[in-house]
Amino acid sequence: MTYSIISIMRQELGLVVIALLVLFFDLVVNEKNKQKVFLIALALFGLHTLAGFFPFEGGNLFGGMYSTQPVHILMKNVLNIGVFLVLLMSASWLKTPQIANKSNEFLMILLTTLSGMYFMISAGDFLMFYIGLEIASIPMAILAAYEKFKSRSEEAGIKFLLNSALSTGFLLFGLSLFYAAAGSIYFDDLTRTLSQPSPLVALALTFLLSGLAFKLSLVPFHFWTADVYEGSPMVVTSYFSVISKGAVAFVLGILLFKVFPVFEGLWQNVIYTLAVATMFLGNLFAIRQKNIKRFLAFSSIAQAGFILLGLLHTDNLGIIVIIYFVLIYILSNLAAFGVAQAVYAASGKENIEDYNGFYKTNPRLALIMMLALFSLSGIPPVAGFFSKFFLFTAAAKAGYYWLVFIAVVNTTIALYYYLLVVKAMFINPNPEPLPTIRSDKYLRSALFITVIGIFLTGILSPVFEYIQAMVDKF
Amino acid sequence: MMSITFHQAVFYFFSAIIVIFSILTVTSKRILRAATFLLFVLLGTAAFYFILNYAFMGALQITLYAGGIVVLIIFSILLTSHVGERFEPIGWGKMIASALVSLIGAGFTLYVLLNADFIPTQAPLPDASVKNIGTALLSYERNGFVLPFEVVSLLLLAAIVGAIVIARKEPHDTENPNNE
Amino acid sequence: MTGLVYDFSVITQSIDHYLVSHWGPSLAATIEFVLVGILYLLIYALVGLMLVYAERRICAFIQCRLGPNRVGPQGIFQTIADFIKLLLKENIRIERADKLLFFVAPFIIIVGSFLAFGTIPFAKGLHALDPDIGLFFIMAATSIGVIGILLAGWSSNSKYSLIGAMRSGAQIVSYELSVGLAIVTMVILTGTLQLSEIIEMQRDGWFIFKGHIPAILSFVILLIAGTAETNRGPFDLAEAESELTAGFHTEYSGIKFAFFFLAEYMNMFVLASVATTLFLGGWMPLHLGNFETFNHVMDFIPPLVWFLVKVFTVIYIIMLFKWTYPRLRIDQLLSLEWKYLLPINLFNLILMSVIVLLGLHF
Repeated sequence: MTYSIISIMRQELGLVVIALLVLFFDLVVNEKNKQKVFLIALALFGLHTLAGFFPFEGGNLFGGMYSTQPVHILMKNVLNIGVFLVLLMSASWLKTPQIANKSNEFLMILLTTLSGMYFMISAGDFLMFYIGLEIASIPMAILAAYEKFKSRSEEAGIKFLLNSALSTGFLLFGLSLFYAAAGSIYFDDLTRTLSQPSPLVALALTFLLSGLAFKLSLVPFHFWTADVYEGSPMVVTSYFSVISKGAVAFVLGILLFKVFPVFEGLWQNVIYTLAVATMFLGNLFAIRQKNIKRFLAFSSIAQAGFILLGLLHTDNLGIIVIIYFVLIYILSNLAAFGVAQAVYAASGKENIEDYNGFYKTNPRLALIMMLALFSLSGIPPVAGFFSKFFLFTAAAKAGYYWLVFIAVVNTTIALYYYLLVVKAMFINPNPEPLPTIRSDKYLRSALFITVIGIFLTGILSPVFEYIQAMVDKF
Repeated sequence: MMSITFHQAVFYFFSAIIVIFSILTVTSKRILRAATFLLFVLLGTAAFYFILNYAFMGALQITLYAGGIVVLIIFSILLTSHVGERFEPIGWGKMIASALVSLIGAGFTLYVLLNADFIPTQAPLPDASVKNIGTALLSYERNGFVLPFEVVSLLLLAAIVGAIVIARKEPHDTENPNNE
Repeated sequence: MTGLVYDFSVITQSIDHYLVSHWGPSLAATIEFVLVGILYLLIYALVGLMLVYAERRICAFIQCRLGPNRVGPQGIFQTIADFIKLLLKENIRIERADKLLFFVAPFIIIVGSFLAFGTIPFAKGLHALDPDIGLFFIMAATSIGVIGILLAGWSSNSKYSLIGAMRSGAQIVSYELSVGLAIVTMVILTGTLQLSEIIEMQRDGWFIFKGHIPAILSFVILLIAGTAETNRGPFDLAEAESELTAGFHTEYSGIKFAFFFLAEYMNMFVLASVATTLFLGGWMPLHLGNFETFNHVMDFIPPLVWFLVKVFTVIYIIMLFKWTYPRLRIDQLLSLEWKYLLPINLFNLILMSVIVLLGLHF
């Protein structure tokens, strides 16, 4: 028990140690060297990300309260990659004078929220699940309000906090009903005692799903998304839309597949409806957006709708396609956000109109943006095509042909508005295009990684096979 | 039999307190009154724990909610509002709509709850003495809570650091007073 | 076992038997509630009056005055006369105040201190409540009081009251931490929260001797932080007369003012009783090792006397504080708590754990 804790919980422990080290270094180094803590954090987190891929045995701890299996480790690794990219992109933002004196606290809080997601993914009972969820959402409000000198950012923080409190209320009520029905909050007890659907369980499941739908910003629980995304600093927006969304999607998958497989008939209809509503609303509202952050916010709502398709195929294939989709979604969305971040850092502009004629002055950034958008919409040969393709295959295999048809229609709508941005960059004339942007080496390397990723994760079959192998061990 | 009804009487008394003050909390037009009514709701909940012979939880409820959270709420009200302030009256349309929604929601939930057949637990009633609670809090076996207990401290740390970051006065805050 | 002579549970149980045999358990319980309630209210008021008198005399002697000395022998009826005066005084209605909260606030304060008062073990078997979470219960009950202060300050609609309430709120919330930690330090030594058990464990020696260094440290901390938590001088800047008139209860008059006054003194009494119970053996007589004769002589003094003597000694120390030291500023007050008491307390907690683990206590 004593030593196995360290090996089994190595990812959580490592991350927490890094977060605490950041805080510690921030205390001990003098003013001039504060910026260097970022490098330490980046290096340590890079090592942590790499170390996650070393195969280690998983296991159960704390009487089933914590469990980690290869699939959980894989999910954490996927999140790690995303967070590493976010860290790279945040370098220039953290150097801005208004943020510089609180940059290390930013890193600490960011890493702590990530550890919350870890605990949420590895939770073996509802208590740990809930605490993980809270760690992943309450400090997030602080991140959203980080540019507190802007009223928009403050508003985003408050909105996020209130919405997450409301959704937590739903969630907790659902969990308490589960406790009432089963007399336990351990997942293994729940699967054992709750053998057949009853109205009580249906009600509990409804509340649980509503709570999680808030976090995943599914329609009709999406109202906070656009405002929060718009108000938050760009880095935080990318973190919101990619990492935290990915984590909640994973957790939803784990909960539905491993804890409530018996109630498939109950929740599949709910997921079906949510998926249709989310895809349509997200896509239709995305068309109207003028601000690139709001635009990406609604596009991420729509993408969450696509993720739900994977949940309808209730065996390993479902989880595989979800992980695969989230991985590629992280890469593509972060590429888009990276370009937006570069533009914003250089010019302070974040409207789609400002991108007119972008290709003339910044051909490489424009190409990256185009690739990212193509990948988000699912155009071959970039990775997004494969992830969507597998997702649709999984849903079709489960027999949801109509849903796949709807999803395809939505992909077409999505293609339209993604192409609007591409058109703005490449075709729309602009007498005063944005000046040529030269971003710092961190952002450039992050964009480089995402571009490589967008190409290779789709084409290279070992990636998919690796995920498959990991999930099958589950 | 007599003692059971006595118990029940006490139970219904506190239930009535909770229900009445909950309604007052959400309908009061003055914010500090609402906070005070909330205090009574929370104290009523603590009374339930005492009725259930779970004194530890009751005291915890009083310390945390009455001594901690309500004090924080009242403090922030003290800093921000004035005795004369009232909430804006809510329009009839909104009132009816929200009443309908909450009534339907509550009715539906109650209907489900009252018709559910709960499985009575076979396990013996856990001993709620302080010693047992302390042991369970630091136990890493099944039904032990050391992991959540420790992990919550992470949340608190991040929240404290974040609160300081948000509340700290900074030179840049005053540079552009008219925001954006 | 001469100590059993003074066991009050024999009396209370015989009363209980008598009531149950006549009226049955439910009704008997109700009657007992009422009886105990009335009894405690009486004691509560009487002790409060005594403390007010004591404070006025002690303060006077420290300041080379005589203090109240006309009403009755040595002026002991002075406070009773004052109390009657307060009862008869007009309850001034404040216009433009929040009347409901203005009315409720004193009761919240009184309820908080009264609940804590109920758990005090005056002698063996002489306490209204003895929950197994004793100390925790006292802390929970006293934490309600601050809400009454905040409500009183806000609802009076007066700036003196509001500032006084804010100050006292910040003060109480901060110092509650130190009080709690000082108590927790002792709980490590006692291993129980139940007051009767804690006293029973001190049969062969008081905890202030048994726990030596950390116990003395936490005794001092408890006294300092407890004084601050009861809003008494030198921490009485919440009601600093020279700047805030009377702080949060500026606008109160008559009986409601008396409530605040009483609650403040009774909180001090509760604090002194907790300190006595935790460190000075509660109602346990002083025993010295193997001096059988001495111990027997001590046993003949009734526990109630022991308890009251100890409590009043502690109260005397607290009163000395008040009339000796000048009032702190708010920043001094907060830095005392957060920069000195809290770290010392945490260090003390660790020290106590080590001592208990290694068995270095007596």
